[in-house]
Amino acid sequence: MIAETIANEFNQCNKCGLCVVACPVCQELFLEKYSPRGKIQLAKFYEQGALELSDHYRDIFSKCLLCGACSVTCPSGVDLSKVFLGMREEIADARGFQSTTKQLVKSLHEHFNISGEANADRGEWLDDLEDAPDDLIGKDRADVVYFVGCVASFFPMVQAIPRNIVRILSHAGVDFTILGGEEWCCGFPLLGAGASGKMAALMEHNLERLNALKAHTVIFSCPSCYRTWKELYHTELEMFHSTQFIGKLIREGSLPLGKIETTVTYHDPCDLGRKGGVFDEPRELLRSIPGLVFRELENNRAKSVCCGGGGNLEMADPDLSARVARNKIEEIQRTGATTVVTSCQQCIRTIKSRARRQKVDLDVLDVTDLIVRAMEAGQ
Amino acid sequence: MISTSTAEELRSIVGKEWFLDTPEDLATYSYDGFLPEFLPDGVIVPGSTQEISGIMKVVNREKIPVIPRGAGTNICGGSVAKEGGIILAFHRMNQILEIDAENMCAVVQPGVVNAVLQKKAAGYHLLYPPDPASMFVSTMGGNVALNAGGPRGVKYGVTRDYLLGLEVVLPSGEIIRTGGKALKSVTGYDLTRLLCGSEGTLGIITEITVKLVPLPPAKTTLQAVFSDLNDAARTVSAIIGSGIVPTTLELIDRVVLDVIRNYGDARFPKDAEALLLIEVDGEATSVEKQGEIIEQFCKKRGAIEVERANTPEEAEKLWQARRTAFGAVASVRPNCIVEDATVPVKKLPEMIRKIVSLAEKYRLRIGVLAHAGDGNLHPLIMTDLRDRDEGERIDKAMDELFEATIAMGGTLSGEHGIGIAKKRWLSMEFNQAAIEIMRGIKKVFDPNNILNPGSFL
Repeated sequence: MIAETIANEFNQCNKCGLCVVACPVCQELFLEKYSPRGKIQLAKFYEQGALELSDHYRDIFSKCLLCGACSVTCPSGVDLSKVFLGMREEIADARGFQSTTKQLVKSLHEHFNISGEANADRGEWLDDLEDAPDDLIGKDRADVVYFVGCVASFFPMVQAIPRNIVRILSHAGVDFTILGGEEWCCGFPLLGAGASGKMAALMEHNLERLNALKAHTVIFSCPSCYRTWKELYHTELEMFHSTQFIGKLIREGSLPLGKIETTVTYHDPCDLGRKGGVFDEPRELLRSIPGLVFRELENNRAKSVCCGGGGNLEMADPDLSARVARNKIEEIQRTGATTVVTSCQQCIRTIKSRARRQKVDLDVLDVTDLIVRAMEAGQ
Repeated sequence: MISTSTAEELRSIVGKEWFLDTPEDLATYSYDGFLPEFLPDGVIVPGSTQEISGIMKVVNREKIPVIPRGAGTNICGGSVAKEGGIILAFHRMNQILEIDAENMCAVVQPGVVNAVLQKKAAGYHLLYPPDPASMFVSTMGGNVALNAGGPRGVKYGVTRDYLLGLEVVLPSGEIIRTGGKALKSVTGYDLTRLLCGSEGTLGIITEITVKLVPLPPAKTTLQAVFSDLNDAARTVSAIIGSGIVPTTLELIDRVVLDVIRNYGDARFPKDAEALLLIEVDGEATSVEKQGEIIEQFCKKRGAIEVERANTPEEAEKLWQARRTAFGAVASVRPNCIVEDATVPVKKLPEMIRKIVSLAEKYRLRIGVLAHAGDGNLHPLIMTDLRDRDEGERIDKAMDELFEATIAMGGTLSGEHGIGIAKKRWLSMEFNQAAIEIMRGIKKVFDPNNILNPGSFL
């Protein structure tokens, strides 16, 4: 069944090679098999029965960020990401999971999060937030829910993001709740793992929780959660990425901002920008901060280059992921800005870790970090 | 097939990770931008001229075909293993060795992408003019091997016109150098130009010296829409005849305009039958004046809409239709055959009419993009290769198309190459004596016929 849907895609490929230039992996790995065009050819050979799904296949298809740069570049409109996801499914079905993927699937099955830690600890980041509303978790009813996501919940490097969002929403007087241990992974990592069949239980649980609260609005700080909900949850709930919701608060006048005199550039996360279509809101937030100078990256908006953190590549080939991140940092440095702002916890982790390793003087911030600062400056 | 011992020998030359023969590697070097695919027996990725020399000695001894490949973007079947053998890929030889601003030239390895050279040269206020549509992907080695052209060809010419010198490895493994940085050279036969456009059949190009020109400080872009193709053609003639040499003079016909209209948000008048995209470059004052003159030409000859871009952003907007044209057409049917017949400029309208009549006669959907300023047409044949009956009709249409082309004093290919795509029509353009001379030349360079066999000869 999957093979059929992907066949419709690759029949349109005319091998022009424009995807090769767009692909961040191809900047590092020259061989044709790693190129989007080459992977399309391998999908075709598999579908036609000319080649079997080998471990080599798995290795090749794991070297992909699922960033979608190839898809938007393709003049014939081939949805390459769809083919690559489909192939990961086929490979997982035929040959089982790689050990790192097995761990991920196990963790999601047992703990409902990607970290492998007890899900009850999802709200730990709140401990460092002195002025947090007491009843944030465990409300019976709530109009607005903030869906924190696994990475921001469990990885200390980016736990400032949910803390920022709680501060911002509270400051603007928004009545909202978070699910704490009742929030389960949205299921997104399973897509990249080729295990979309295991998503249903997670999705059902999350929807059930929101229905029980009688919520009508969900806010996400994680672009991948946001996209997964938007595209796969099939719900009537109103969904916002945090940048969209905060933008609304600013426009409504609920969030007066003070001056920050600094120069920043902005990195469009793949899932929020190219795949989620949210380009303007984060830029509006930056422009709403008085004193802030904003410089675009050479490749911005739909042409933004992935940070290296997509497609579960970090699990499959950490070295390759790091090399992509290094290229991203060089692009950031070419703007002359020493601060890069983005709106995805995964991008922050990837860029920040690489910058530290390389001892590069670079501030890597989430948009909400700046909003909180501007909010404080405005008081 | 490559024996185990030969494979070992090749691995010892390039290092074991750079000789590839897994089924996955062979599958992904079985194609280029043309349609038929051929599985090679191996793929080798050398890192230096010396390594290539070593490789050639082995394959020449073993009589294994070698097919040089840059980015595999050509649309004539130039870089596929038509008779098996080894694909020699230039991924690793991708360095710009020198931009010599004082001598206005650049020395590059064959794997350098055209647009990368363009960008680097621009940093020195210099321009490498040839701009094939594939320039963001295609390599300089491939550009030289196929004598690539591009929209700027009207004013600036093609790859051949910028080629100063080459380093080439022969099948024997011997290394020769032709030309150099001197702008003038009449010493001996012009081997540089002989190799340019030789489609990988004479030698392996390992280093390229090209001429650069000053980057023009200003340009202006115009778009004119006509409700009558003849008006557009008369405008082209008027511009060419006026002494103004446009950088670019592109024509899009009604079929393609209709496809673009359905594809994106570009809007053209309903009765649009042709669109001209015109660009002039040079000093700001002369460019401004030329822009005005061209605008008048268009209006006087019946253009129903003329737009002139004043900023780079506006220019980019005008280019949008031309840039999306191929993709729009390619997405209509599973396959798109891009033809390349080229006629003397004055014959352009006659040729377009011929194509329209062929499309009707053989019930085909053919759109036309043309580099109108130099008579280079790109009929785009929208098809599905699985449809045998349609395939036969296309073959017949092509026979007639090329007969007409040659009768008008034109050529089978303006810039795409012959390869396997147009092999069967070669004798329309050259008589037997001329073809024998080419075969003789091939034999001198490559007595064992190991270089890209199955190509045009």
